[in-house]
Amino acid sequence: MKKILVLAAAAATIATAMPATAADLVFSSWGGTTQDAQKIAWAEKFTEKTGINVLQDGPTDYGKLKAMVEAAAVVWDVVDVEGDYAAQAGKNGLLEKLDFSVIDKSKLDPRFVTDYSVGSFYYSFVIGCNKDAVDACPKTWADLFDTEKFPGKRAFYKWSAPGVIEAALLADGVPADKLYPLDLDRAFKKLDTIKPDIIWWSGGAQSQQLLASAEAPFGSLWNGRMTALAQSGINVETSWEQNITAADSLVVPKGAKNKEAAMQFIALATSPQAQADLAKATGYAPINLDSPKLMDEALAKSLPDAQTASQVNADMNYWAENRDAIGERWYAWQAK
Amino acid sequence: MLSRIEAKAAGSKGPARRLRLTDFDLTLPALGLLVLFFVVPVAILLARSVSEPVPGLGNYAELLGSSTYLRIFANTFLVSGLVTFVSLLIGFPVAWALAVMPSRAASVVFAILLLSMWTNLLARTYAWMVLLQRTGVVNKLLIGLGLIDKPLPLVNNLTGVTIGMTYIMLPFIILPLYGVIRKIDPAILQAAALCGANRWQALVRVLLPLAMPGMAAGALMVFVMSLGYFVTPALLGGTANMMLAELIAQFVQSLVNWGMGGAAALVLLVVTLALYAVQLRFFGTDRMGGR
Repeated sequence: MKKILVLAAAAATIATAMPATAADLVFSSWGGTTQDAQKIAWAEKFTEKTGINVLQDGPTDYGKLKAMVEAAAVVWDVVDVEGDYAAQAGKNGLLEKLDFSVIDKSKLDPRFVTDYSVGSFYYSFVIGCNKDAVDACPKTWADLFDTEKFPGKRAFYKWSAPGVIEAALLADGVPADKLYPLDLDRAFKKLDTIKPDIIWWSGGAQSQQLLASAEAPFGSLWNGRMTALAQSGINVETSWEQNITAADSLVVPKGAKNKEAAMQFIALATSPQAQADLAKATGYAPINLDSPKLMDEALAKSLPDAQTASQVNADMNYWAENRDAIGERWYAWQAK
Repeated sequence: MLSRIEAKAAGSKGPARRLRLTDFDLTLPALGLLVLFFVVPVAILLARSVSEPVPGLGNYAELLGSSTYLRIFANTFLVSGLVTFVSLLIGFPVAWALAVMPSRAASVVFAILLLSMWTNLLARTYAWMVLLQRTGVVNKLLIGLGLIDKPLPLVNNLTGVTIGMTYIMLPFIILPLYGVIRKIDPAILQAAALCGANRWQALVRVLLPLAMPGMAAGALMVFVMSLGYFVTPALLGGTANMMLAELIAQFVQSLVNWGMGGAAALVLLVVTLALYAVQLRFFGTDRMGGR
């Protein structure tokens, strides 16, 4: 009897540890509230519609993705990645070409569409400030880089990605239409001036924690995180002055096991309603041009879509070309 | 397996020989697992360090020729050394107290030690973040007591890393030290007192030398573990305090440059193995963990 129990337990353990069956679609994203929203707005709807079960995995890890493709053991079918990485990985042969006979790209924001990727959602780096912690809030990138007028720590995104270098150049007076190619020497020189006052955030939750606790009373944050902070009752101010947009992208790794289902999933995820639902839940902007019509006005106004007056678009193609070189220099500078 | 051991036992000449053979046999499953899931993947990563992006030692030249990377190496040693030193300073009195405590009280302290070890590393590190931040409990308390005027910078710097890592490493120094100190006959200290040694002399000239093997084993273990630490320095330190493990993660995950990642990993491995060799040379395996 005891033996049978042990065997049953072992079988149960193995069963729960089993990888996805071929019929399941595996979606990887970055965890937290964003992936929860993707699950509700996209995955559950997809399962309802097609009967295909979607397994959530993550966080997305570019090293892992490369290893899967090289070993021809691709576990992920659809992956949420950063836009600049998507552009680069497509060129490096790590991704499947998207099937635009399944995915309707006519209504997708062309800024975020390549042969290998479509936008997942898009966001802006904005200037966030905890009004209770300081006398005055920085309004422009130049303010955020001015430690005399605005003393204190400021929070910036830690990883090499579009956003911080652009902010430094804008703060230094580079006109928005002359940003690219990025003048890295100038950017790092500007960053040097505030380096001791920077606290780096490596994930969205940390950026909110830094701002809410006034560990860093202001900084450059993703707009969705500012919306969430305001909703949680913290007295924050968001400056959209020269907000810098960047996007997440949806991609299919080369050799994905459920390629066809993956295309269907992306088609649904980028459809007007699914994009509107995600925007509502996250505060990030939809990449489907028909989505804003489906959202109530107040919400639509809180999104980067409504802040295009001084908006600066990070150039994903430039980043894709120069991602490695900038990255090496970025991390070397940080560690100095 | 069992029958094979018995067969060997029957066929062997003396008890010593029989024991050695079966001991080795019994390690085979674990060894096989390690070779398959640890040695082979590590070897593959290391092989890439001399084959990507072009064959040769270019990655090593870049790694060891750059002042940035050398600074990260130096910082890794600095942090590990600091953590080891502070852990010894705090761990020794605790281990001593545990050894002389009534066993019921000692078991309570052990339970606390082990519970902290079993708690999720990430949760513990975030807890320190909350405690140490500008508006955290520690700063609020100090300001409330009137000891400081404005908050001390306790996180996102070396202080934060040292506090967080020392906390995590303490059990690894207390447990081997406890083992060694408990074996010391209390009569030896009485003898020292009888011979005229004061408390300080008894500690420095009798207790410390006797506890040395445990201290060395614990210190080396903590030092080596600290060398490869990742989560705590990443969360409690600033980028200026980056450690080697973070650099490797950056190469592998963010820059997807596995050649450089492998090279950095090999450097870390060589240093670790060298330290382990030192430990074996001076203390031997049988004296590790205070056995």
